[in-house]
Amino acid sequence: MIEQYADIAPQGDILLLRKLRDRLKGRSFLHINSTRAGGGVAEILNRMIPILRDLDIDARWEVISGDERFFDITKKIHNALQGRMETIDEDMWQYHLEVNRMNAQNLRLDADAVLIHDPQPLPLIEYKSMGTWLWRCHIDMSSPVRSVWDHLNGFCTKYDAAIFSVPKFTRTLPIDEFIISPSIDPLSDKNRDLSQSEINSTMDNLKIPQDRPIILQVSRFDRFKDPIGVIQAFRMARKYNDCILVLAGSPATDDPEGAMVLSEVQEAVGEDADIHVLMLPPFSDKEINALQRVATVVLQKSLREGFGLTVSETMWKGKPVIGGAVGGIPLQIIHGVTGFLVHSVEGAAFRIRQILNDPETAKKMGDNGREYVRANFLITRQIRDYLSLWYSMENRGANILEL
Amino acid sequence: MIQSISFLREHPGNGYYNHRKKGLVGKKMGEMHEPFDFKACANILKSTGRSVGNLHQLRDEIQRASGSSIFHHTYQYFLKGRMLEYTNDFAEWTGEALGDRALAEELSNIDPYDFTDIEGLRNELFRVISSHMEKHPEPREPMPGNEFYFNETVTLIYPVGIRASNLAELYSAIKYVDAGSIYYHFYEARRRGGGPADDFSTWIEKALAKTELAGRIRAIDPLMYTVEQVRTTLSRIIEYEVRRDIEVPPQ
Repeated sequence: MIEQYADIAPQGDILLLRKLRDRLKGRSFLHINSTRAGGGVAEILNRMIPILRDLDIDARWEVISGDERFFDITKKIHNALQGRMETIDEDMWQYHLEVNRMNAQNLRLDADAVLIHDPQPLPLIEYKSMGTWLWRCHIDMSSPVRSVWDHLNGFCTKYDAAIFSVPKFTRTLPIDEFIISPSIDPLSDKNRDLSQSEINSTMDNLKIPQDRPIILQVSRFDRFKDPIGVIQAFRMARKYNDCILVLAGSPATDDPEGAMVLSEVQEAVGEDADIHVLMLPPFSDKEINALQRVATVVLQKSLREGFGLTVSETMWKGKPVIGGAVGGIPLQIIHGVTGFLVHSVEGAAFRIRQILNDPETAKKMGDNGREYVRANFLITRQIRDYLSLWYSMENRGANILEL
Repeated sequence: MIQSISFLREHPGNGYYNHRKKGLVGKKMGEMHEPFDFKACANILKSTGRSVGNLHQLRDEIQRASGSSIFHHTYQYFLKGRMLEYTNDFAEWTGEALGDRALAEELSNIDPYDFTDIEGLRNELFRVISSHMEKHPEPREPMPGNEFYFNETVTLIYPVGIRASNLAELYSAIKYVDAGSIYYHFYEARRRGGGPADDFSTWIEKALAKTELAGRIRAIDPLMYTVEQVRTTLSRIIEYEVRRDIEVPPQ
């Protein structure tokens, strides 16, 4: 399977993966998160586990289960870590811990390396029996609600190391902290090449006309993604350029607020026939791929963002991206080189107009973006980093490791 | 004499004929020498958990930071692999986040390869920032979220399974290997060797006895190029030499 990436990914990544396989083959590597569908974590794990197995790593993926109350609490925790004021009372913390305790009884937690994704399963560290335990935080933690982070910190510091997506998300911790960007899979349905007929038939199915430039944002219906701001920016740009807007998202089982935000969006759209709101079912990867390929301008106008992988997905398709200057987006968009970073609705509107009116620059930015993603944000690099980190944790204290 | 790369681009043969006349050409075919084994390095970024939000804090933290962190923000800057306006992270941050272009220029002018150890480099960074603060004491703050984060790396070094035994093979390999390999042999070599020489020129001089060619490669200013530009420049210089080696002089 790894051979399929040899002609796409940087050859150094493939070579290093093979060297790390020699060191780690036969060892067990367990990933745990809270959903199998929806959101970037589930998406990347769906692709990563088979590749790890192909590298002779005994990789497993477990998902914790919980009821509506549990996911309401964890959504509040998620929001608080991203800076929104939320109150988590003692009962709620106890319930968070209790659900994790029940999951610990049902899950096999024994592995040589255990990677826990995000705060939902964070307390599982209390049930560690063996191996190197790593906490992977995908959330924008640049300004969390202090009391919520203080509580979680008690669990976090019991891990062997923590991993964040961006330097500014790191905290001062007594454990090792690493920075590993997430990634996209160039061979997945979401990112593989599509023929023009595949694109056309997908657009027909989605009822998206292709007779005018398409402005697109693909994201969960989440206030932090600012879908209302995107609508406002589109309406400003439309005064000067005839175009349409597509807002596309999928539901996630661990996001109870999605339906509420979707209804706010629909209300803002009203009777505007130039705005298409698509609630796509989970795993609508080919549809998203086609939308990104057919769009002229793609936005990720987030107000808070873990990493914003849709930016890399779009750049991989050779399209310039307009992104909010938050979270991991500035790591992907080099302003003026692979797209534009914006700080306001007005900024987004201005950059939309700029791209629509200068296709030559847009093409150049798109080409730069694809190469930048190839070098930095493909799944092979992320697996390389996870295995390198695991190997380095087993050789703690050494800053230079020769393989 | 060290010539600029732009000069060498226009006159790639300069100096070559003089050496030919003197008989200072490379070893003859069949002579034994150590092959050039390509390696590469990859880094995992490690946070120190420390960040600063103004020049005072930056200066103080530069004094306290681990040698590994200073190394990462200076020597490893070129691993970013894209066109860069500055030559180290401190210069980039003061120029972009603080909007202090004058200090960014001064910091960019520091050549880390002028120093034999990290402490010398640390002292120079401290001196340049302190001197600038005496002239411009008013504090500058970045936009929230644009603080400077001190990081370090764990480096993994690995053989890439490519070996060159002569100049033509070296030329082919340089065009083929990943950027991480060019970085390892061109930039990282200076730290390992504790001197101004990269691995390519050292091997060309020792194994192939091509002193003039080695000198031309050493004339490449490491701070003025991205890794990909270094690859292109190396290829151009070596290709010219290979072409000259295989050409039959007119009768």
